[in-house]
Amino acid sequence: MSEQILEKLAEVVVKGKIKEAKPLAEQALGAGITAQTIIFDGLSKGMEVVGQKYEKKEYYLPQVLLSAQTMYAALDIVLPKLKVGEAGASGRIVIGVVEGDVHDIGKNIVKAMLTGAGLQIFDMGRDVPLKKYIEKVEAEKANILATSTLMTPTLAGMRELEKMLAEKNLKGPVKTMIGGGATSKEFAAQIGADAWGYDAIEAVKIAANLLKK
Amino acid sequence: MLNNGMKPKDRVLAALACKKLDRPPVVCFTQSATVDQMDAVGVHWPDAHTDPEKMATLAMAANKVFGFESARLPFCLTVEAEIMGCTVDLGKVDRTPMVKKHAYDSSSEVDVPKDFSQLGRAKAVVEATKLLKKKAGSELPVVVGTTGPFTIAGHLVGTENLLLWIVTEPESVHKFVKIAAEVENNYLRAIAAAGADVIVMSDPSASTDMLSGEMFDEYAAPYIKQSFSGIEGPKNVLHICGDTTLLLEHMMSTGVHGLSIEEKVQPEKAVEIVNNRVALVGNVGVVKPLLQGTPDDVSREAKRVAASGFNLVAPGCGLAARVPSPNIKALVDAVKK
Repeated sequence: MSEQILEKLAEVVVKGKIKEAKPLAEQALGAGITAQTIIFDGLSKGMEVVGQKYEKKEYYLPQVLLSAQTMYAALDIVLPKLKVGEAGASGRIVIGVVEGDVHDIGKNIVKAMLTGAGLQIFDMGRDVPLKKYIEKVEAEKANILATSTLMTPTLAGMRELEKMLAEKNLKGPVKTMIGGGATSKEFAAQIGADAWGYDAIEAVKIAANLLKK
Repeated sequence: MLNNGMKPKDRVLAALACKKLDRPPVVCFTQSATVDQMDAVGVHWPDAHTDPEKMATLAMAANKVFGFESARLPFCLTVEAEIMGCTVDLGKVDRTPMVKKHAYDSSSEVDVPKDFSQLGRAKAVVEATKLLKKKAGSELPVVVGTTGPFTIAGHLVGTENLLLWIVTEPESVHKFVKIAAEVENNYLRAIAAAGADVIVMSDPSASTDMLSGEMFDEYAAPYIKQSFSGIEGPKNVLHICGDTTLLLEHMMSTGVHGLSIEEKVQPEKAVEIVNNRVALVGNVGVVKPLLQGTPDDVSREAKRVAASGFNLVAPGCGLAARVPSPNIKALVDAVKK
């Protein structure tokens, strides 16, 4: 029974059946499935399939966005039931678009994929002042700071973030990953970021690698 | 073969007609201003976004300072959205204007402004086009940049919402992109009447990073066509960012005279696909090599693009305001010499 519900949850995420997400999540909890199992064996599996379909160009952004919203709808029900320490989420990630840029679709897709991978995400939004990132990283004891920008003038902000982390002796304990249209692997190396991701799919792999270190 | 010594305007118009030339023109059809140009002509952002005189002066700087064979205005993609009610931050000396806040949700009734081209910065652009025509129009092609309807619709309701609605409420997508196309058509008529030689419409939100080819055909292409319908005179160029290799055929189906594309497409591959059916404009990378590379890197890329058979050599996307001048000089020199 519980396996069926979990499969159905994954399917609802893949197909973006957003209206079915909440009732099904409630049904799963009612059937005694733990929040953790619902997230990892249901929702995450669904998002993984969505990622694969996106990679194969079976899905484009509109479908991915809908699947993400469907996952979030289910998470609204499930997350409050997650017991402390049960999270299993081995990583805490602060994510956002750097100050001066409002292009946040890419960031939102990365956030959805990382959430789908079971990580705990603190979303700062877009056009976020640099010092807010540092404050949040400290307050939440984050493992990773992930920032993006599509524009070139705002690249300087990423360089500045690296400096600010270094000044607080947080380089090392906190890993950084960057992405977005104006960024590149070379640029990441240049400013001392720990990783660069081409897209949301790569971001999940990169985050997993950084968390192992 | 048409030989050297041609006026930039004649060379550009011949190239856009896919004529064989001794060399392609080197132009900037996307955002052209840099801080060094602003300093050289004494006109800066954000003033140049609103003042027609300053706008025209800064448009000419790309030729005056670097020798680009074009003069292009304005310097952003927010003119239309602002008039339609979005909140726009005009930025600063090295930062382009951005849409900060959207104007509508899906159920909103939209008041379509009647005489769009007489409003706000659209009026400034039309005025600046007339000025530019008068000041430089016999030598340089007057290039006017506008925003594609899918991108405008994204500004109106939020691009993420617009994309999501493709699955959840496609009729709302059509509603907003159609409104954008109506407005755009009114605006383009005024720009054509003001003397533009080339209209470059950028529709970045319709890129393959966002839409499949089929979605482009349904939600973007018909409205790009509608925007250009009845616009006689200027050459029409469609600019879309990202890796457009698979989108080139779809872009051509809109009936434009030229396609402006980014370096994410292999130039040789683009030339092979387009095969001189329309003119190709591009595609020297703005971040790499222009912003972050050396003059040698730029020169190598520019020569590669020219050799591949691009009809016009240009930056692949809008110039970042801090692109180093030696790199821009290297781009122009590599093509001209």
